[in-house]
Amino acid sequence: MARTNFSGFATTWRMPIIVWQVLFFLGPLLFMIAMSFFLVKNYRMVEAFELKNWEKMLTRGYFWDSYILTFWLASLTTAVTSLLAFPASFALAFKVSPSVRRWALFFLIIPFFTSYLVRIFSWYVILAESGVVNALLAHIGLGPYTMLNTKFGTLVGYMTLTLPLVVVLQTFALANIDRNLVQAAHNLGCSPARAIYAVIVPLAKTGLIVAALFCFILSFGDFVSPYYLGGSKPPTLPILIIDTTKSGQQWPRAAVVAVVMMLTLISIAFAALALAYRKRASR
Amino acid sequence: MNQPLVTFDGVVKRFGDFTAVQQLDLSINAGEFIAIMGPSGCGKTTTLRMLAGLDQPTEGKIHIDGQLMNNVSPHQRDTPLVWQSLALFPFLNARENVEFGLKMRNQDAATRRKKAMDWLERLGVGEFAERNVETLSGGQRQRVALARSLVTEPRLLLLDEPLSALDAHLVIRMQSVLTRLQRELGITFVYVTHSQSEAFAMADRVVIMSNGEIAQIGQPRDIYREPANQFVAEFVGRNNIISGTVTGVSDSNLIIQSELGEFTVSDHNKVTAEGKDVTFVIAADLVEVSRSPMNKANSVECTLISEEFVGSVVTLFLESSSGTELKVQLQERELSTLDHTAGGAFYLGWDSDSAHLLPA
Repeated sequence: MARTNFSGFATTWRMPIIVWQVLFFLGPLLFMIAMSFFLVKNYRMVEAFELKNWEKMLTRGYFWDSYILTFWLASLTTAVTSLLAFPASFALAFKVSPSVRRWALFFLIIPFFTSYLVRIFSWYVILAESGVVNALLAHIGLGPYTMLNTKFGTLVGYMTLTLPLVVVLQTFALANIDRNLVQAAHNLGCSPARAIYAVIVPLAKTGLIVAALFCFILSFGDFVSPYYLGGSKPPTLPILIIDTTKSGQQWPRAAVVAVVMMLTLISIAFAALALAYRKRASR
Repeated sequence: MNQPLVTFDGVVKRFGDFTAVQQLDLSINAGEFIAIMGPSGCGKTTTLRMLAGLDQPTEGKIHIDGQLMNNVSPHQRDTPLVWQSLALFPFLNARENVEFGLKMRNQDAATRRKKAMDWLERLGVGEFAERNVETLSGGQRQRVALARSLVTEPRLLLLDEPLSALDAHLVIRMQSVLTRLQRELGITFVYVTHSQSEAFAMADRVVIMSNGEIAQIGQPRDIYREPANQFVAEFVGRNNIISGTVTGVSDSNLIIQSELGEFTVSDHNKVTAEGKDVTFVIAADLVEVSRSPMNKANSVECTLISEEFVGSVVTLFLESSSGTELKVQLQERELSTLDHTAGGAFYLGWDSDSAHLLPA
């Protein structure tokens, strides 16, 4: 009789997550990939296996314009958010007492209690032509500036979504590094400022990259900010998906966009994690 | 005599309510190998960290090479520290770790590389230069850490229990590496340890600390044979400590009555008067042991409780009729003459000159 390694207890506990992933992630994903080969005839989707949708989308300039814009905005957000978050995370990790750090992390999580949509709409009041920022700038004789329906607006929206999360993740990464190593650097003649890039960033590298990766994934796939704060023109990929489904029920072409987005994010995630966990070559 | 390289003048270090170091006065000469020894929490590591500038004294002054160091930040000093955890940078290979201090001094890449390689070779780990430090063995990492600290050619090297993570046989080997380096380079080593064998084996002078204060400073032999107080006598270990009252003074000898019996102890300083309570120490290796009564100035009859065998030396733990534990250290080859596995009485004895009277 064949020897089995079946452990009823462990398998029972693992089943829910496996079922969940198959039903709500793997299944829909496979269906979406299949759908990208379907055809639409008379506003109705027909099962098929044709490359037409892929040809149609990948040869269109507007698709690639949208792709490059989305990629660029997500990259820019990732860079700006990581840089803006770092001083705050650094201070929380190294300069404050543990109790202050706990409270700060608590306040950073509070934004997630409210709807993202509500937070985005609140920016209307702040960024509008007659909004708070322009009213303040008018006092010193500047403006008014158009900030809504611009790429700047989109960026602000993305950061509303990502900045608190990036600060939290960076703070954990920095707080966990071995203080002895930082002191050892000082002891070897490294000034505190220089130690940041000579020792602290390399030590916290994995966590910092994971924080940036989350920022990129959230921004790349976000629909709300480019739509409401960026004015949806030119469209980012998530907006393109909505537009495509609305115009002539082109779900299969929208599926093509979605699959391309998935592939992009998977590639980025793999590259980022490879970089994050790269060990130095050893002979 | 030249001016000392390092001086502590009335140095106090408090962390909140806790006083880690109190009223420390110590001077360390150039070229000296000094060991600071004491139990956990005695302030020895804090003392070392103050030398590196990683902790600032709350009171008092620290001078290095005549310069007041109180407000000099760690990175502006040349006081490399070999860490207990070694604190090698995991994101750099062995050579880059050694180069770190030179890089911070803005030396060019070629010079850095050459100096780093020279030091790695000198410490016998040249072949591992390009290796990830996490893949090296404990002993190899230890040598890389030493090279990293010595590459800037400091006048003062600080070592914080650097050998505590090594296997026993490596400790012995690293001890000789360290003493040889220190002699060859002529630089000052300040070596913090809780290990008496490390301190005694390597140091020119040993500082024993207790509760943030210096309990005794002296050459290893003096500390071993002439402990200044009961703390040192107990800390150094393998000492029998006996307290009693002086019942008679004759010439340079005291007659001391204790619960173990009556003893004669030499008192060359002749400062002790009759009726005083005193404590004396008799080192375990100065006690003779026999199965028949001995004709010695001092003797005690005991029964054997246990023995501790550490190679060529054996320690016997014995108990007197009054319940006091006594220790005897002897060569393993002497043990066979004792027939020690058979029960019965053991007789301990020592000369009155062998005992060391603790200063009151």
